[in-house]
Amino acid sequence: MTATATYMYAITRPIAPEAVSDLRGIGGTPVRVIEHGELAALVGTVDLAEFGERPLAQHLADLEWLGRAAREHDEVVRAAARLTTTMPLRLATVCHDDDAVHARLDSVRGAVLTVLPELDGRDEWGVKIFAVADRTTPAETAPAASGAAYLTQRRRQLTSRDEWIDTATRTAFRAFGRLAEFAAASRQQTPQDQRLSGAEHPMVLNAAFLVSRRDEDAFRAAVADLAAEWPPGGVVLTGPWPPYSFVPNDDR
Amino acid sequence: MTEHLPAPQNGMSLADVLDRVLDKGLVIAGDIRVNLLDIELLTIKIRLLIASADKAREMGIDWWEHDPSLSNGKRDIAAENRALRSRIAELEATRQQAPQENQ
Repeated sequence: MTATATYMYAITRPIAPEAVSDLRGIGGTPVRVIEHGELAALVGTVDLAEFGERPLAQHLADLEWLGRAAREHDEVVRAAARLTTTMPLRLATVCHDDDAVHARLDSVRGAVLTVLPELDGRDEWGVKIFAVADRTTPAETAPAASGAAYLTQRRRQLTSRDEWIDTATRTAFRAFGRLAEFAAASRQQTPQDQRLSGAEHPMVLNAAFLVSRRDEDAFRAAVADLAAEWPPGGVVLTGPWPPYSFVPNDDR
Repeated sequence: MTEHLPAPQNGMSLADVLDRVLDKGLVIAGDIRVNLLDIELLTIKIRLLIASADKAREMGIDWWEHDPSLSNGKRDIAAENRALRSRIAELEATRQQAPQENQ
């Protein structure tokens, strides 16, 4: 058993090894290019004491470790995406050694070469929409005179809150359609839960768009128009991201 | 520990990063097997937690510290999980009776 393993960050079109010589990845480790015909993999050497099956399972449950690794992984994938067309790999894809990476590249070569052209010259953008509304909060309403009155009042509050969220969700869905016109592909993801996100308002849209760099200005203008129609803070744009949400992951 | 959770930058929070690096991206089989179900469970829990451990604690959701599958202290669940997984693999192998390449 060797004490190290090869951590894979992304599969890309060919990258010159010198292009990543200053790049650092997980735990500050150097990033290398493994060349494989018309493909390349961005990898690093990691310690099995940290990335073996047992320690890795433990680390993934440690929010501090996970948050740091996620940022470091994302930084390398971003750097790759700035250099060439990039297929991000999911966090913690670890092979025994470089030979095993070549074997993986062989096995996914066909699929990767099919998808890469769809990603050429395009970035992922995230748009989150929050149901921001000025409404009377339950705490501000007059106290109910009786238990029954309280229940009636509470039911009315919950109903109006549901209706308000429904309306915001429908409006956000139309907004998604408008923005999708500027994108080569678009996805709706599970909204992040507001009770735990600490966000002030419920999220009603968590969308990703694959946008050609040619159309970036038009897309951003459309997001700005949309933001102007919502209360302040209602529309949040993130990006550009590497195309995480637009690579196949159907073998999950 | 929450001080290590960076505030949103440019509208981009740790939740947004985790949403992508855990749940998205190309999934290929590495040699170090991170069970996909483990990752899915983790993703679901993180989606619940979303960058605010303090908020979760306020709400009495302290599984992060006490859930055996997520706390560092208890290895028995992980060991049991591994044992079950290898048992499943054995059963599958005997059921299929065909030599199968370990992917």
